[in-house]
Amino acid sequence: MECYSEQTCALAVDGELAADETQRLRDHLTSCQRCRALVDALRAENRALSESLNELPEEAASPARFSPQHSSWGWGDLAILAVVLTLGSIISGWFNELDIPAAVEWFNPFSVSGRTNLTFQLFYYFVHGGTAMLADYAAVVGWICLLLLLGGSALLLGRRGRPHYPGLRLLIVLLALSLPSFALERRHGEFVTVTANEVVDDTLVATANMVRVDGVVNGDLLTFGRTVEVRGTVKGDLISFAQRTEVSGTVEGHIYTFARTLDLEGQLGHSIYGAVQSLHINDRGRVGDGIVVAVGEASLEGEVKRSVNIVTGGSVDVSGAIGRDLTMIGRSLVLTNTARIGGNLSARVRQLKEVQIADGATIGGKRDIQVRVRESSFTRPRFYFHQAVWFAGAILVGWLGMLFYPGFFQATTQLVGSGWRSLGLGVGVLAGVPLAMVVIAITLVGLPLSLMVLALYLAAIYLAKIWVGAFLGRTLLKPSEATKGDWLLGLLVGLLILTLLAFIPYLGGLVRLGVVCLGLGAFAGQLYRASQPAT
Amino acid sequence: MDAKRNMAKAPEPREGGTRQMEGMELESVIECARGHDAEALGEIYRRYVRRVFGLCRYMLNSRESAEDATSEVFLKMQRSIDTYDRSTPFLRWLLRVAGNQCIDALRRQQRGRRAIVEAEDGAAVIEVPSSETSPLGAVISKEERADLRDATARLPENYRVPLVLRYYSELSYEEIAQQLDVERNNVATLIFRGKQELRRRLRDRSK
Repeated sequence: MECYSEQTCALAVDGELAADETQRLRDHLTSCQRCRALVDALRAENRALSESLNELPEEAASPARFSPQHSSWGWGDLAILAVVLTLGSIISGWFNELDIPAAVEWFNPFSVSGRTNLTFQLFYYFVHGGTAMLADYAAVVGWICLLLLLGGSALLLGRRGRPHYPGLRLLIVLLALSLPSFALERRHGEFVTVTANEVVDDTLVATANMVRVDGVVNGDLLTFGRTVEVRGTVKGDLISFAQRTEVSGTVEGHIYTFARTLDLEGQLGHSIYGAVQSLHINDRGRVGDGIVVAVGEASLEGEVKRSVNIVTGGSVDVSGAIGRDLTMIGRSLVLTNTARIGGNLSARVRQLKEVQIADGATIGGKRDIQVRVRESSFTRPRFYFHQAVWFAGAILVGWLGMLFYPGFFQATTQLVGSGWRSLGLGVGVLAGVPLAMVVIAITLVGLPLSLMVLALYLAAIYLAKIWVGAFLGRTLLKPSEATKGDWLLGLLVGLLILTLLAFIPYLGGLVRLGVVCLGLGAFAGQLYRASQPAT
Repeated sequence: MDAKRNMAKAPEPREGGTRQMEGMELESVIECARGHDAEALGEIYRRYVRRVFGLCRYMLNSRESAEDATSEVFLKMQRSIDTYDRSTPFLRWLLRVAGNQCIDALRRQQRGRRAIVEAEDGAAVIEVPSSETSPLGAVISKEERADLRDATARLPENYRVPLVLRYYSELSYEEIAQQLDVERNNVATLIFRGKQELRRRLRDRSK
């Protein structure tokens, strides 16, 4: 009898051969040494395969939540981080020497429009007067990145292993983001156009009054300008800082936008993230994933495959289709007859009448509409609980600071007493730091540094009330001898007064602003003092 | 992003509850989970998350997407545990859900391109000429197992996915064919070729 093929034997071993075939094969095996050996070997192979796959590789042994130690930082990574930090500080130092336009008059840190204004104005500065500087800077960055590349490769080549290391990742990210000389194509001018038959193979950074893409960008498109129009195709992400962004072509990646308006009439492969004044997805627009945005107002007429999450000061109008959930917090919500939501609808609005759901609208999941009554926050126990937690947190932070850095804490508290000087400095810091952050971030290589500055900035704003509270408490209680206990009591009293003051309508906002400026000024002043050599 | 957030929403095993559930028979845990009992769902998560994550990790190319897929699987499990009919073992059912999730993810990643390419010779041809390479040895050491696993993980997707579904999820050819939306004969060919490719790669490596 003729022997069976290897594939038939493999099927039999997998239990996938028809019963009669299997029987015939079995009969054959009793007489054929060769086929028996083959079947045994195949069986052993299957076992080996199952066993090896079931012994999960260490990396796959458990998802992130179960292995808190995600990755260990070696000396190489630290060295790279140090290089990046040094680089960042060199850049920021270099920027300090530049003549940056005064920002204060258009900057009110407590209003969103003030911030967007600032951002746009800054980009205008680059578009009109700063491009030459940007170009020079990009060349410097290119050189530094080349050095980084060489140094980083040398460091990493010295270590055995696969590219799983955060250092390498960091390096790759930095390179991807910041190689104007050889990974990015930069264009600037009044108009930047990628014509219909043109293909840009790199990531394109376009700085212009009007950016128009009719052709194809194979990398990401990063734009700063008044108007950005994508009629062609962007294969990567679209990152847009523009007054008006209009996509009628295709963006295959994500859209990250900080624009006044975003109009999507074409196809988007993934999600939209960002903050825009007005978001409009018209009936031809299609979003492959979801939307996570803060907007002034939004109108969704097209199709969104996954969930939509919107925080808005205004209204959300839906007449298109949303594949999964719609979650919104805002003033009003309108679902027209053609609206379709695959998952749950969850809305937080001020008044129930602001939610209009047409009879023809379909909602696949649950409807959860809650009215946020602002006036009643004082009557809800949760409000007091939250306040108490915040308060306790601030006291704890103050106390820990006092324990670990008593000198610095007390000196900063005293510095609050210098009044107008601290206030002035504080206003400067409050307005200047975001500006510096944008300037650092715009150069891309400074992005990590910028994020670190942001973290420090937010922490300093949080700490501001502690310095001011402590100062206020001390002034009121006037302890003859300031022990740590007195200091804590002072902080408690001061913070309590500040917290209560902040609830006064209208005046409260002003008090908060004053407290932040005073505290920030004192903090900055003390940091400056501490950095000076002791005399 | 969605999946990341969902991950946070996935049932968290609570201390006290887990201890109660720990010794319980799977049957009763599933019964409780059907009533959307958070502790039972958490217990199922605790028992099977590694297996599910393992499958996702083999099938998808990055750890992040595997984590996303894992959390999606457990969310789906919560929603569809009512449809589990006990005709198959629970783990197998769960791995089938996970397999589907991963295949969807692969298809999404490839933006419309068919994730699993059918064997070129078409479904009708089941017999392919025997390879010259012989099956892998019976007893292999721990290092060799790691090599084998590594080589499997690096196989092209159209070989890797059916192999993982067969030898990790232990699905039948028919089930794999359903999941991948291809002919059963095609699955047989892909698995057979996948193993040949594995042998070839391991042999090249050991040279």
